[in-house]
Amino acid sequence: MKKLKFLAAVAAAVLSLGTSISAQAALAIIAHPSNSISGISADDAQRIFLGKTGDFANGKRANPVDQTSGASRTKFLKSVIQKDEGELKGYWSKLMFSGKGQPPKEVGDDAAVKAWVASNPDAIGYVDGKFVDGSVKVLLIIP
Amino acid sequence: MKKKLACLVGASLACGSTGALAAGEGITLSGFLTAGATYADQKVLPPASTTSTGSRAVSQDGNIENRVGFTNDSRIGIQLSAKVNREVSITGQLLARGSDENFNMKADWAFVTYRAADQLSIRGGKLKLTTFLVSDYIEVGYAYPWIRPPQEVYYANPITTITGVDALARLNFGDYSLLFQPYFGNSRGEQALVPQEAVTGQPVCLTPPSAGPSPAYTTCPAGTIMYVDFTADSLTGVNLSFGSDLFTVRAGYLQTLVSAPSFGVSEDQATFSSVGATVDWKGLVFYSEYFQREIEGRANGAFPNQKGGYATIGYRFGKFLPHLTYATLDDNDNPINPGVTGLPLKQTSATLGLRYELGTGAALKIEAQQVKPEVVYTGQPGRGLLIYDPNLGPEASESVMIYSLAVDVVF
Repeated sequence: MKKLKFLAAVAAAVLSLGTSISAQAALAIIAHPSNSISGISADDAQRIFLGKTGDFANGKRANPVDQTSGASRTKFLKSVIQKDEGELKGYWSKLMFSGKGQPPKEVGDDAAVKAWVASNPDAIGYVDGKFVDGSVKVLLIIP
Repeated sequence: MKKKLACLVGASLACGSTGALAAGEGITLSGFLTAGATYADQKVLPPASTTSTGSRAVSQDGNIENRVGFTNDSRIGIQLSAKVNREVSITGQLLARGSDENFNMKADWAFVTYRAADQLSIRGGKLKLTTFLVSDYIEVGYAYPWIRPPQEVYYANPITTITGVDALARLNFGDYSLLFQPYFGNSRGEQALVPQEAVTGQPVCLTPPSAGPSPAYTTCPAGTIMYVDFTADSLTGVNLSFGSDLFTVRAGYLQTLVSAPSFGVSEDQATFSSVGATVDWKGLVFYSEYFQREIEGRANGAFPNQKGGYATIGYRFGKFLPHLTYATLDDNDNPINPGVTGLPLKQTSATLGLRYELGTGAALKIEAQQVKPEVVYTGQPGRGLLIYDPNLGPEASESVMIYSLAVDVVF
């Protein structure tokens, strides 16, 4: 956990300096700059995106936004959610149609998610590392 | 997909280039559909005569017949969810079944959710009753492996929704969580299938107007399918569920007072208890459940004490999920008092099925089920969950094959 936070902090620093680490198409989990949380573990991100918790670890409300499709989504499902599209559809079907939860809002591609997160204080999203700039705060880098 | 549909439905609303519903942030529209066909390999009822309707009905509700039919499993549901504010949301679901006249839409449930804390929600309104593992999404075929959940268990509680309140309280232990769901309410305006034994030969059928100067009560012929309006009051229960993404173990208990005025039933106590487990681990799919119900007084005449269970095992090979189910329904020490207490039903069935994923959000399923009705009391016909034919002797119960095909979609 500590290691992750450190990694995220380093990554955020690197990114805010404008150095591109997009060569490996790293994925960045991002939040609004006003969010006091300094980082997040992949497990906690998974719990938020699967609706198992509605809060960040600091007790603040978390409002996840998803991408509709594309390389970032594929990578996020594989490395953070750890379900394929079919499994995820089945997971949400059970929760949605039993009135126990709603999947994260799908707002579009990397640029749309970044814009959304930059303008919503409780948002959490993921984007390709090269989309990261000062308008959002990086919580975790998935290389 | 969800948003596209929202745009389509809300055509008068401005749909942005991203497809997001412009009016009312936080409104989601989703739905599910099953198109299914059934065929049973033999007739159960004799040809039409003065004592029989002579239909091709095979299942006790008449929806599965000795010919290709589409009414048993076909249905469509539309769900609307909206966030009122950070803590309050509303959910409504409209459902139309092929077995209902003209596919009439009805509100299956509609409730408001108050999020009291991160892991505690209180819900009020018309709620789906969680008697078994898949009860609260039983209409959503896409969410489970079978075309229909094993009827030896799922038929046992005709109460599918309640009007009342429940709480969803979750305790998390790492990857595991415990869900505690108490509920309280009542059920009005639902109908339950009356067993044929309870109506055949009873003077509760109306003669057609042409048969006399005015409709009168007359003896019901064999194979009469009758539904009775009933109410369930002071319905109190609790569900406990423990598990992770890989498995779930659940237990539930409920008690209620059942009334059915047209059958002279007034506030008879009914209790249901059930346990179940499901596993989804490295392609292995397993479901098993067991229930007992006990019903007192006159209500027992139509709803005798029963117990039942099933086990399903399957294995996922890519897009294919072949599965095998064995299910049993049995007497649960029902009192024997002919004409007063009910006749418990007994049957076993084995089902071989295959689910095939048609991309994401759609599945094709085929099933072959062998149903073996059994005799409970000597001298009484054994019909299990098939339709009743008094002309067949107690030894005549043969096994029936039911073939089904369905496509399930969520959108």
